[in-house]
Amino acid sequence: MTVQDAHAPDERREREETELPMGVGRVSRGWIAFVGLAFLGVVVGIIGFLTEQGQGLVGTGMRDLGTMGGATWGLYITLVIYFVGVSFAGIMIAALIRLFNLEHLKGIARMAEVMTVVALLLGALAIIVDLGKPVRGVVNLFRYARPQSPFFGTFSLVITGYLFSSLVYMYVTARRDAAVLAARPSKLQGFFRAWSAGYEDTADQRARDRRTTFWLALAILPVLVVATSSLGLVFGLQVGRPGWFGTLQAPAFVVLAGVSGIGHIIVLAAIVRHALHQEDRIGVDAFAWLGRFLMTLLFVYCYFVAVEIFTTIYQPAVAEQRIGDALLTGRYAWLFWGSIVTLVVPALLLAWMAIKKQWRIGWLVAIGVIVNLGALAKRYLIVVPSQTHGQLLPYGEVGTYSPTWVEYAVMIGLFSLGALLVAIFMKIFPIIELADADTDPDVDDGGAERPEAHEMEKEVVS
Amino acid sequence: MTRRGVITMAMIVVGLLLMGYGYFGGAAQWCADAVSCSNPRVEWSPAIFVLGVIVAFSSALYYTVAKDEVTDEVARGKQQ
Repeated sequence: MTVQDAHAPDERREREETELPMGVGRVSRGWIAFVGLAFLGVVVGIIGFLTEQGQGLVGTGMRDLGTMGGATWGLYITLVIYFVGVSFAGIMIAALIRLFNLEHLKGIARMAEVMTVVALLLGALAIIVDLGKPVRGVVNLFRYARPQSPFFGTFSLVITGYLFSSLVYMYVTARRDAAVLAARPSKLQGFFRAWSAGYEDTADQRARDRRTTFWLALAILPVLVVATSSLGLVFGLQVGRPGWFGTLQAPAFVVLAGVSGIGHIIVLAAIVRHALHQEDRIGVDAFAWLGRFLMTLLFVYCYFVAVEIFTTIYQPAVAEQRIGDALLTGRYAWLFWGSIVTLVVPALLLAWMAIKKQWRIGWLVAIGVIVNLGALAKRYLIVVPSQTHGQLLPYGEVGTYSPTWVEYAVMIGLFSLGALLVAIFMKIFPIIELADADTDPDVDDGGAERPEAHEMEKEVVS
Repeated sequence: MTRRGVITMAMIVVGLLLMGYGYFGGAAQWCADAVSCSNPRVEWSPAIFVLGVIVAFSSALYYTVAKDEVTDEVARGKQQ
């Protein structure tokens, strides 16, 4: 044995003690390539936005209702609803995990919190790009928003209250990890020290953290439902807009929000599990729980859609019939039936996996992606056809709307920005909560495999 | 109740009061038909509502981060 070999274990131990966990502070070639690609997407989005600012909204496919035979809400509003939906499920799952102490899901709690904050930022940006004069629009919201309007709930609860409470929640739940990492010498030590804000790992502090997260979760959950419902009510309360007016809009918004958000969490959890080799912390039981939850929401949403279609075709007024025809057999039929397939087939696949008790992560990821495409299409169909085909005034029967390259560029930019923010977060803070064994030497559990998870792993043929 | 608890509760109450003031200071809800009722009766009332939401949720930050000298020292003493 050489002298070099004899020193190797010491060096490894030293490296383990000083290196930050979960790849924090270290970048790989794959990460750089991913971030480069995402950055390129953001640049595309900025070009789209600047073009829109230069030309005005005429650079988009949006036109006035009636007189110009178009739609004033298009892809941007579709994206607002979509991103708020994604954020809904993220913080809901995180809150449920803390409220009911769902141990097997703790590995996904922080990524759900991060996803919520990022999705809300993207939702807010999607509103801003939809405004002809963004600065004036934002300032006027703070000056003149009317409490009578459901927009008031959307603006005050979703964009501000919801975002702020999610940030507070994420900060509080991550403070202990920040304190642990602040004790290790690294380039990010100052950042961790600032985040931990003098955290001392005493029993009293832990009890206080538990109380805080419990009450925060309890306060956030009703805010979530009210906020997401208010977004549904923006459509559901418009009595003069056939296709929108209805009691099912608010609950359907909440349920579809859960569908798209859980789909996202599944995909993100699978990526993190694979990239950071965290098979023990994010077990198959976590995916099984998410899969069962997603299946339930999908069946509930399919029921809503069936009721909606039946009500539309049973004995509709003229404008409702026009929208119904456009959706079922007309211009939007391919998108409508496509979205139905992307929601029904995953629901059946999930039911099959639940019956067989075989949760395949690859399948779940595919389902997560597919239901998100379906949810995006469904939102587009909620927003657009009622404007193009639901005209009650005699301006001509139908209008048209097709997004331009500007809108597609902004959409690419928003999705890329989301991916970029999550990727950067993963390199400055652990995306998975540190196990107790990492932070407290007296506790011998942490990352240990749970027996039930092990049993489940055996059942699965990946 | 400790000083921390008192201040936390005070922040929640102030937050709720600001939300109420901001909400009812907005366009009057009981005369929605009159044009004169369209504008907020209190300048920047939606911003006041949002400030209330922020103050209320900030109470959680204060509760976890603020030092409560007596109990913290006792806890440290117990650990040692």
